[in-house]
Amino acid sequence: MPNPEKFPFREMTVTLEGGKKLTLSKETLSAGLQYGPSHGYLPFRNQLKRMVEQWHAPPRWAESDLIVTVGNQDGISKALDMLLDPEDFIVVPDPCYSDFLCMLSSLAPQIVAVSVDDQGMRPDILQSALEKAISSGSTGIPKALYLVPNSCNPTGTNMGEERRQEIYAIAQQYDLIILEDDPYCFLQFNDKYLPSFLSMDVDGRVLRFDSFSKVVSSGLRIGFVTGPPPLLQGITLHMQASCICPPMLSQVLIHELLTSWGDEGFKKHISDICQFYKEQRDAMIQALKTHLTGICEWIVPEGGIFVWLKVLHLSDTSAMLLERGAKGDIVLVPGREFMVDSTKPSPYMRAAYSCVTPEEMMKGMENLAKLIQKEIELQSTHT
Amino acid sequence: MKYSRFLTQVSRNRQPSLIREMTNLLAQASPELVFMAGGLPNAQMFPFQAGSITLKDGRALTIHPKLMMDCLQYGPTPGYPPLVKQLKDLTQQLHSPPRWAEMDLIVTAGSQDGLCKALEMMISPGDYVVTQEPCYTGTLSILKPYKPRYLPISGDQNGMCPEALKAALSKWKPEEVQDTEKDVPKVLYVNPNACNPTGVSLPEDRRQEIYKIASEYNLIILEDDPYYFVQFGDRKDFPPSFLSMDVDCRVIRFDSFSKILSSGLRIGYVTGPKPLVERIVLHAQVSLLHAPAMSQVLVSELLKLWGDEGFFKHTDAVQAFYLDQRNAMLEAAEKHLSDLCEWAVPTGGMFLWLKVPKIHDTWDMILERALTKNVILVPGKAFMCDSSKPCQYMRAAFSIVSPENMDKGCKNLAELIS
Repeated sequence: MPNPEKFPFREMTVTLEGGKKLTLSKETLSAGLQYGPSHGYLPFRNQLKRMVEQWHAPPRWAESDLIVTVGNQDGISKALDMLLDPEDFIVVPDPCYSDFLCMLSSLAPQIVAVSVDDQGMRPDILQSALEKAISSGSTGIPKALYLVPNSCNPTGTNMGEERRQEIYAIAQQYDLIILEDDPYCFLQFNDKYLPSFLSMDVDGRVLRFDSFSKVVSSGLRIGFVTGPPPLLQGITLHMQASCICPPMLSQVLIHELLTSWGDEGFKKHISDICQFYKEQRDAMIQALKTHLTGICEWIVPEGGIFVWLKVLHLSDTSAMLLERGAKGDIVLVPGREFMVDSTKPSPYMRAAYSCVTPEEMMKGMENLAKLIQKEIELQSTHT
Repeated sequence: MKYSRFLTQVSRNRQPSLIREMTNLLAQASPELVFMAGGLPNAQMFPFQAGSITLKDGRALTIHPKLMMDCLQYGPTPGYPPLVKQLKDLTQQLHSPPRWAEMDLIVTAGSQDGLCKALEMMISPGDYVVTQEPCYTGTLSILKPYKPRYLPISGDQNGMCPEALKAALSKWKPEEVQDTEKDVPKVLYVNPNACNPTGVSLPEDRRQEIYKIASEYNLIILEDDPYYFVQFGDRKDFPPSFLSMDVDCRVIRFDSFSKILSSGLRIGYVTGPKPLVERIVLHAQVSLLHAPAMSQVLVSELLKLWGDEGFFKHTDAVQAFYLDQRNAMLEAAEKHLSDLCEWAVPTGGMFLWLKVPKIHDTWDMILERALTKNVILVPGKAFMCDSSKPCQYMRAAFSIVSPENMDKGCKNLAELIS
């Protein structure tokens, strides 16, 4: 270990929203600047464990553990490295979070794509797709099932409680590990409680990935994973060899922040951000209604930051958005990017309403309507 | 050079994340563009507004609200642009890489994450790996899952022996393996300065010989150099890095701030040929996304405040501290261990590599009995490619221990060995 006396930083103070100042004690700053344990800064880990127990009451809590990761996506990436041998199957919703598909494209496992409805993965399609995989004669086995149960990226849908139980039951039948990716759990606009997969995990088959990126900071790169110790161990060993430990200063800061807030302060903060994103969503829906009625279809999201739009009279949105969008002063992500088979055309697009003002949304949707009209004309002159 | 030869199938499969790439569009966009493609959270909702760090010299780094946003929001995968620029300038200044225009530099979450991704980019299960032996345990733990076929290269008080390298590679004819992809060595790992665990450095002539051999056999050289700034002696006398002699564009160099600025911030950087650095970026894009932003901003602001002069003044001070520690360690070792142990004088860093000729294997002595004598060392076996063989060495760290405790420690160690 290097000698921390030689590190040039002596004191650190941060000012929180509302003006409150947090000064890190000498010991705390020192902890923030030195190597720490691979599974996370202990006071922070303990704090997170208390929170997870409170929110999810996992049925096998005594046999569970929790580790801190460099953002939740690094945890997912290492979980895939750990679980998937070549030829193994992984179950994903279709459409699926594009960065996850990107991870899969390098590992190249066999993908079981399951179409979705307004609640996410369809259990009947899941069942038949798994049967097909099992009887395919492959040497690989279905190992894991990935989903984003709340405000799914990109569709914005929430999976209902009954549907979750159905999916869990199927995972039991085929002995799958469930990768519960839940970065938007705190960005839900109504009070409807949807139990997490972790909270129904009687078998110890769920790896739950939580994130602070939408709630406290994305740039600090802090997430955490909860699940069975033997699986967390695999991820931790890989962490040890790569980053050595999650960024210590980031962990220390979030720990101090959560301590300073207490449960009440945390709840208030969540309530404030939900209020903000709800207003953003409302402004977005207003902009959509104003400019895209009859041109697009959409489901109103109950949380998160995305709206999944379907263009009614186009078969594919990729060229329109990627080649002509910037000139038309509107950029969304083409739906094809989220499809397991990205060669097939997709009339969908994903819009994020997190960082634009209501005025920008209005202008953006007006631009989008014009862009789509032009594209429809372009298509018809070509046919 | 053709780089695809060095890549695993997994690495070749990597594609850019479209969403990350689309965020680059913002840079060239008209101000009228309504950008709704990124999945960025709104940074105004992040609870930290501003900050201030006081340095040990009394000066302060101010994190005003706009800078705090840079600390808290997602950033580009290759690194916080001001820091990347500063590190590129520093690298060019220190190493003048001969093929600089064909190289790139990225910030990583500690240099070891860069090393890990570089090895994962090139090593498939069972591949050959040419490495110094003894070898840093971190590197061995990265490679362990791949069950590599090690070609361990022994060294002496001047580091890796070029003759040993030549001998290890002699079973292949260079012209027969240069373009071969399978079943030949393609990667050479080396810690050129104040090697962990031996504490010794490669002089210039050996580096040139090793480079020449690597060039003949078409190996990528992984230059892992976290102790670069903690080499003892005048900076102008530092031997040239492998990067600085890289006429073929085959070196990937790993630099670290862990020994001089902070290990907990997790900031290091990788310099190498563009096609290879790009593969590391693609891996980072789907895993950690980027090195922690606040850490990057702090390092950048610190370097800006110090300027070159301040930075080198600091590294000189750190070096001087470790030199004092080394000297105290050597004194204690000479006093208590001169009949029992052998060692080479460390030329930098924080480790002393002790040989115990009268003992067959230090493993049990240290792990089972050392704690009872208040002496913590690492048994040499941990640094060997083949951990089934006995090892007479052990590594002592002199970074944190006070001279009094070093004396006590060496005395206890002498008793333990006896």
